[in-house]
Amino acid sequence: MVDRIERLTNLLALLLETTRPLSLVEIAAELDGQYPENDRARRGSFERDKAALREIGVPIETDIVGGGPFAGQTTYRIDRRAYELADLDLTPDEVRALQVAVAAVRTESGRDAIWKLGGALGDERSAVSAVIPHRPELPAIRTAVAARAPIEFGYRGERRTLDPWGLLLRGGFWYVIGHDHDRDERRTFRVDRFDPVGAVDGGGGGDARPTGEASVRIGETGSFRRPASFDPRTAFPADPKQIGAGADERIDALVRVDALRAVAIERELGVDRVVERADDGSIVVSVPAGNLPAFRSWLLGLLDHAVVESPPDLRQHLIDWLSALVGDAAATTEPGLR
Amino acid sequence: MSGPRNAQDRLRRLLVMLPWLMEVGEVPLAEVARRFDMTEAQVQADLELVAMCGLPPFVDEMIDVFVDDGIVFVGVPRLFTRPLRLTAPEAFGLLTSARTAMDLPGADPEGSLGRGLAKLAAALADAGLDVGVDDVSGEESHGDDTAGVVVDLARPELTDELAEAAASGAEVEIEYYSPARAEVTRRSIVPRHVYADVGNWYVLADDDRSQERRTFRIDRIETAVRTGRTVDVEVVAAPERFFDDADVARATIRLAPGARWVLDRYPIDELTELADGWVEARLPVSSERWLAKLLIRLGPEAVLSEPADANPAPAAARAILDRYLAAGD
Repeated sequence: MVDRIERLTNLLALLLETTRPLSLVEIAAELDGQYPENDRARRGSFERDKAALREIGVPIETDIVGGGPFAGQTTYRIDRRAYELADLDLTPDEVRALQVAVAAVRTESGRDAIWKLGGALGDERSAVSAVIPHRPELPAIRTAVAARAPIEFGYRGERRTLDPWGLLLRGGFWYVIGHDHDRDERRTFRVDRFDPVGAVDGGGGGDARPTGEASVRIGETGSFRRPASFDPRTAFPADPKQIGAGADERIDALVRVDALRAVAIERELGVDRVVERADDGSIVVSVPAGNLPAFRSWLLGLLDHAVVESPPDLRQHLIDWLSALVGDAAATTEPGLR
Repeated sequence: MSGPRNAQDRLRRLLVMLPWLMEVGEVPLAEVARRFDMTEAQVQADLELVAMCGLPPFVDEMIDVFVDDGIVFVGVPRLFTRPLRLTAPEAFGLLTSARTAMDLPGADPEGSLGRGLAKLAAALADAGLDVGVDDVSGEESHGDDTAGVVVDLARPELTDELAEAAASGAEVEIEYYSPARAEVTRRSIVPRHVYADVGNWYVLADDDRSQERRTFRIDRIETAVRTGRTVDVEVVAAPERFFDDADVARATIRLAPGARWVLDRYPIDELTELADGWVEARLPVSSERWLAKLLIRLGPEAVLSEPADANPAPAAARAILDRYLAAGD
């Protein structure tokens, strides 16, 4: 038996060169002696090869023969135009700029893409770089955004169907923004909060297809139009602490921040949010608290340098939250004290 | 470069290597190996293998390539003259990199990067991998669908100043808030590399106070003033991960389903799936204060399993609670 890479290369060459779609019997005859004689073993080997080629991005088309003596047989071919990378007509300085971009932004698949464009990652050194978080769902979502196809995914145990309008990376997280079918309104979802593979049950529409590793199903192409004025930056909730909360749930908390952190917090929130400045250097800021978990996480990140002054129920919530944390240890290490 | 390579990966690499070889015609084996991140032996073995590929009646002739005396020669190009189209992940990776790079300090969106990105986006649109912006009339225009993927690396205002200092070797005096010690220190640094990682901007710099190369979070730098001193520019690579260091202490935390974001936010050494969607993660802890902060933010959604006898959260929570109980009521 020949080496697998040799058989794969021959199969690829055959399907690219053929002028008409070929059946497995014809393929095996052309690649004489490279596939097993036994029908089932041959089918098994061929299916593995086909899957391997598809996984590296080779577009193998299948067809079912309509009539004649071979009716019902599956045939295979590769459309050369779909296989080959279009000539991008990039100038050397443009390839070089993309190369520098990929070097400065370390993504998993950027290197292969640069090779395909005729460049290579060498010793580009830049004094500025960025690490972009990767999620397996992202290529599928982007494809759906481009194809105007709805996506279906699990989110905190619920199944959601969304017309994805755009992806936004902000604050180190990827968000998808679009029209939520069930809620019938615009919603923002954090991609890393999608439920893992298997969490979405398969009861979706007939067209939905799983996208391999990612936990996103893509629906039919061209299913929606996106508003021309859409821009993910402005569609995104103005404050990340407001994500998931409706406009009517707007609550502002007053938070006193110590002098030690006052400079940084004023810079983070903007001067408009400062409602009071005390002689000791502390400030009181007004902060959106409509999304309680997000607000709490932000606040507690400041540890004992920030205290909620109002509203009272929010203040009480934090006292309860902290008491529970203190109580855990008090019960085990200091029984009876306090 | 190392370890066993499966047939699929070898073929994937060959399909980018062959078109390039056909373009250049003749090239030292060592250069091919360096360019495609392989050993010379691997390149030679794979090229010899594909040289035997072919279809009747062209067996052994379809891929006309041979290696002689350390030089790769390509004869008549027949097959695989063009690279395989970009896969969806590759297209995504490239577009995201380009968009990100345009958002970095010092980028010129009108320059070669912007032009390259526009051509790339147009080609992807033609290939059905991207479409242009919907017009009100419903017509689709081909071009870069800028609203489809947006990278927003909002940066603290001092970032550009520090990036310029790194590019010119300028020393800068900073006031830095250190969360581990809860104090502001004044120090002189020479910035070497400015980078964004998971939502924050950092500067890697030579620090006069510790006489070491240290990483500072830019949003904790309160002021930055050039001292007037300059040193030789030395461009260094960004660290792989901020505190990915074997010397750093570790903690093991059980996380509820709602706390899974921790897995994306911080480097994780080890991960074990538990019942009901909980996971147990072992992760580096940069300081006890950092660990306390994480546990307090997560509340009931996290349980520290190790170090079980040194949980910093209750004392830190007590300190915050004391402020609530002391203030006002």
